[in-house]
Parts: sequence; structure tokens; C-alpha cells
Amino acid sequence: MFYNGLVLNYLNKHITMKSLLKSGLALMATTLILSSCEKTEMEDPNATNTVTIEFDNRFGAQELKLGGTEIVNKSGEPYTVTTLNYFVSDLKLMNEMGEMVSFPDQYFLIKESDAATHKIELKDVPSGTYHHLSFTIGVDSLKSVSDVTERTGVLDVASYGDDNMYWSWNMGYIFFKMEGNSPVVNVMGGDEYQFHIGGFGGKDAVTPNNLKKVELHIDDMAKVSQSLSPQIHVLFDISKVMDGVNTIKLTETPMIHNPMVGIKISANYSGAFSVDHVHGETSH
Amino acid sequence: MNKLVDILLLSSLMMACSEPSSVEVIQEEKPLFYVPDNFPEPEYDIESKPVTEAGFELGRKLFYDGRLSRDGTISCAECHSQSYAFTHHGHIISHGIDDKMGSRNAPAVQNTAFMNSFFWDGGVFDLDFFSVAPITNPVEMDEEVGNILEKLKKDNEYPGLFKKAFGTEEITSTNFLLALSQFMNGLISADSKYDKYVRNEAGGSFSTDELEGLKIFENKCSSCHGGALFSSGGFRNNGLEPYRRDPDLGRFIITENPQDSLKFKVPSLRNIGYTAPYMHDGRFSTLDEVLEHYNSGVVMTSTLDPLLQQNGQLGIPLSTEEKEKLKVFLKTLNDEEFIKNARFAAP
Repeated sequence: MFYNGLVLNYLNKHITMKSLLKSGLALMATTLILSSCEKTEMEDPNATNTVTIEFDNRFGAQELKLGGTEIVNKSGEPYTVTTLNYFVSDLKLMNEMGEMVSFPDQYFLIKESDAATHKIELKDVPSGTYHHLSFTIGVDSLKSVSDVTERTGVLDVASYGDDNMYWSWNMGYIFFKMEGNSPVVNVMGGDEYQFHIGGFGGKDAVTPNNLKKVELHIDDMAKVSQSLSPQIHVLFDISKVMDGVNTIKLTETPMIHNPMVGIKISANYSGAFSVDHVHGETSH
Repeated sequence: MNKLVDILLLSSLMMACSEPSSVEVIQEEKPLFYVPDNFPEPEYDIESKPVTEAGFELGRKLFYDGRLSRDGTISCAECHSQSYAFTHHGHIISHGIDDKMGSRNAPAVQNTAFMNSFFWDGGVFDLDFFSVAPITNPVEMDEEVGNILEKLKKDNEYPGLFKKAFGTEEITSTNFLLALSQFMNGLISADSKYDKYVRNEAGGSFSTDELEGLKIFENKCSSCHGGALFSSGGFRNNGLEPYRRDPDLGRFIITENPQDSLKFKVPSLRNIGYTAPYMHDGRFSTLDEVLEHYNSGVVMTSTLDPLLQQNGQLGIPLSTEEKEKLKVFLKTLNDEEFIKNARFAAP
């Protein structure tokens, strides 16, 4: 079954490349294989399947325990993380032939506190071998100015409870939120730091834009077929939020609630994602 | 039925009076939303989201319901009271829950469908999302929209009212916010003496002083407070001295552009006689103070509006006579029918 899928993939690829000779060879090979295992079903090359992307938030190699794990940044400041949320949208997969599959109008809110949100499912992905994944951290400007009737699911501004992801006073979503405690922080007697990053560029005026596109190469390749529904394991290295292209010191900016100051942090976290591995799971 | 009786009664009373006028009766029949003849086209998408009887009534009930706040004490009407053209009378800056103080003067809720930005700094550009801000503000209503929806679901009346308004008993944030928008969009104020004057309607004849006041207004004020809404929209620095402690930077807070520092939305002057105090921080309690500010109180800052620093002079020179006539004219912007309309009052 699995093997047959691979052959079909190979076959598809080369027919699309319009290489007559090669497809002729492949056809012969397929015929050979098919005749050698009669009971194997032919996979439908037009079949689609689901791709799952798992977002795994970690400190380097260390697992994250909310409120528990204490890490020290490169400026020597120890801190914990009590909240970590971010919006993922505008996902795209690219196959070996450079063909792009996009998933418009799908928005996901990854919340470290809710394991059910760590895996997102992209449905109806065409058969193929995908080697590139891209997505946006945030909610694009078009959606950020859309009508209230279009704000459903994770975009419903009333859906966040006391873990708010929407700025009502400067309307727009909080794209990325990280909060925690640190002994070096002293804000009105408290030791909490808060990074709330948003800003889609503004509607009637140009305002800071913290929409960040993440482009990731999938070394393992994610193969999708009638029988293969891969899971792409994406790592997010939290330590890079403070130590990336910019160095963020908790003593200097413990409270970030406006887009302009957030620019340094969004530049950091957009470089904190990587694809770790792919599980080629079989499913129907 | 009762309304009909009222109208008949009103008509018969009028016939008894010496001045025969059917104007009052016609106004009773006004639709919930309409575009007054002297108004521009609405900014709000009123075609797709019209004001319906059931939606407006639901919005009205919500507007006057204290359950929209955390402890049930503060309704929208607390800071937006009809008698004062939906502002917070007697409060320089508005008070909210636990008697906490906000930092700004509650603006009038009127003609919302004709506006494209809300709050003194324009932080909200869509009326449907306006209500979320005062509801969630810790010094205003300090509640979460999700909690309100839960409270409304448990109520005896609301599910039925939502069904009437939106065809479903399901109480969603979208329908909750749309109902509030419908009520606000129904708050049209377009029946001041000035309106009747420009529309050539009965009750709209201006006295000499009013006409002269209008002329002064057109010469000295209408560059910023022009058009049917008496606001050019946009954000300007009108020369108020910034407080040394924690100055309110206005539009800068939203755009983070230094050019926008100390700029605030140009407010409509409609119903100005009812909406004291004045300015974003309510620092002036009378119109005399406001006019004197433009005459002699304008302070130079780097973003001061160019119109307030012409010919090497700060402000807009106004003689005592001009100020008096301007005040006479500004009174014609009061819309008594608006603040007394029973349809806008607590249900």
C-alpha cells in the first residue's frame, strides 16, 4: 500500500513534467509492481488528505512547563512563562514542483495552556510531496478590518475570557502574547512582565505592522496521498523571543502593549520557528 | 395603539392652537433610521445592517442595562445620558465602576452612522466594535463580553428578544454588538433650529444675531467644524496646554507617529448646549471658556494646527461681540426633540 503510493507519486510527478520517456518507464514499473501484488488497491492520484501541524513550544531542547520552567536569558535575567499564545494564519505548503497549496481564511490560536490547540489540521491537501511550509503569525490586515459578522471562532472578540487577545482601544488582535514572572522585574511592586504584540498596519492611518511571515524548509518532506496523512512537527524556541536578532532586557521593557515597541520582539519570534521532523502517518 | 391615541390627541391640540402645524405629527412617523436631507451619505453599511424595530429595541434595552458591567451598576447610559445628548453631565472626565475615573470626557452618542472613527483618538474605526472598549475598560464597565452573553442567556426576556431581532435565540457576540449598533445608529439628531433653517422648515427662521453668528462661524470655525456634522473629521491639535504630569498624547497613542502627538478627533458641535464640559479632558465647563481659549489661550506645541497660527498670531481672534453672537448661533445647534424623544429613553 505504502510502496504503491510512492510509485504513484513518482508517476504523477513525471507525468506533470511531461517527460514522455520517463513516464513510459514509470508506467512499466508500475505495471510490474501492480501485477506482482495483485491484491494492492491503486491509489487515486487525485486523492486529498489531511496535514497536521503540531506547534511545540520549548526552551531550546527543554520542555516548557507554564509557570514552572525557569530560564535565564543572555542578559542574565531569570524568568518563567505563565502565558504563551499566538495566532497562526495564511498557511501555505509548497511541493517539489514549486506548486503552492494555500489555506485562506483559516485562523488558529495556539495556546500553550490548551493542548487541544497545539495541533492544527489542514484539510483536503492534494497528494504530493511537500518540502516547504509558510505561515503568518497574526491576523492579516484584511481580516483585521473585516465586518463583525466575519469574526467567528478564534476571531470572535468575545471568545477570550480573561486571556484576552484583542485590543478594544486600538482595535486589532494581539498576535502574540507572552507573560511571566521575573525577579528582575519591578512594575508597581509586581514582578510580572507582559509582551503583547499586535498591529496590522492601520486602516485609515499607517501604524506599525507586526504581521510576520515564517518560511520553513521541511527537510524530511511531507508526503500526502490517499493513504498518507503526515504530521509536521514545528518547534518554537521561546528563548529566542528575548535573544534573537534583537536583545530584549526585562529590566528595560517589562511591559510591552503597543505595536511600535513590539517590532523588536516580532522580529525575534518570527525567527524562532523550525521544522523538527515529519511523521508520515497512514490514515484514510 | 397608545401612540395612535397620542398622535390624534396631539393633532387635535394643535388644531386648537393658533399656529396650525403638522410638523410634530410627521416627525412621530420618522423611520428608525433615515438620512436627513442636509446630511451626507452614511459611513456605516446601513444597507446590509439596517436598523430594525426589534433590533433597535433590543439595543435600547442593552444600552440601559447595568448587567453589561461587572457588578451590574454601570450601564452605557451612565456616561451617555439622553438629557445631555448622551454625554456624562457634571463630570469633567467620566466616572465608571467602583467610582474609578477615566481620563477623558465621554463624547456624545449621536449620528454614529455618519462617522468613521470613534473615541477622541480614533482608536476604533468600526461602530460594531465600539462597545467592546467601554465594556472591557477596567475603569468603565470592567466586564468581558463573553460574561455578558452568559448573563443574557440566563435571562427570561433576552433570548426571545434576540430571536425577534435576529431570527435566532442564540445570543452571539456578533448579534449583541449589532443590536447596540442598531440602537446607536437610530440616535439621529437632525432637528435643531439650524437644521430647520437649512432645510427651510417651519421653526427655522434665524434672528439677525443668529444669522450674524452663523457668518462668524463660517469665517472662523467651519474649517474644522464644517459640514452637516459640524466636524471635518480628522485629528487636530487645538492648542490646549498639555498637562505636565502624564499628558494625554491623543492620536499618537494609536498611530505612534510623532506628527500625531496631542491631536484629538474634531468633535461634532451638534447639541453643544447640552454636552458640557468641553474638550477631550473636559477642562472647560462653559462655552465662554471654550471661545476664550481660541481667542487667547492657544498654546504653541510642535503639532499645533496650522489654522491656529496664522499671520504670526496664535489662536483665532474673537471680539466680545463676536463671541456673544457665536454663542447665539451655537444655541441653534441644540436639538430638543433629540434629548426628549421617548423612543431613545430607558425602556
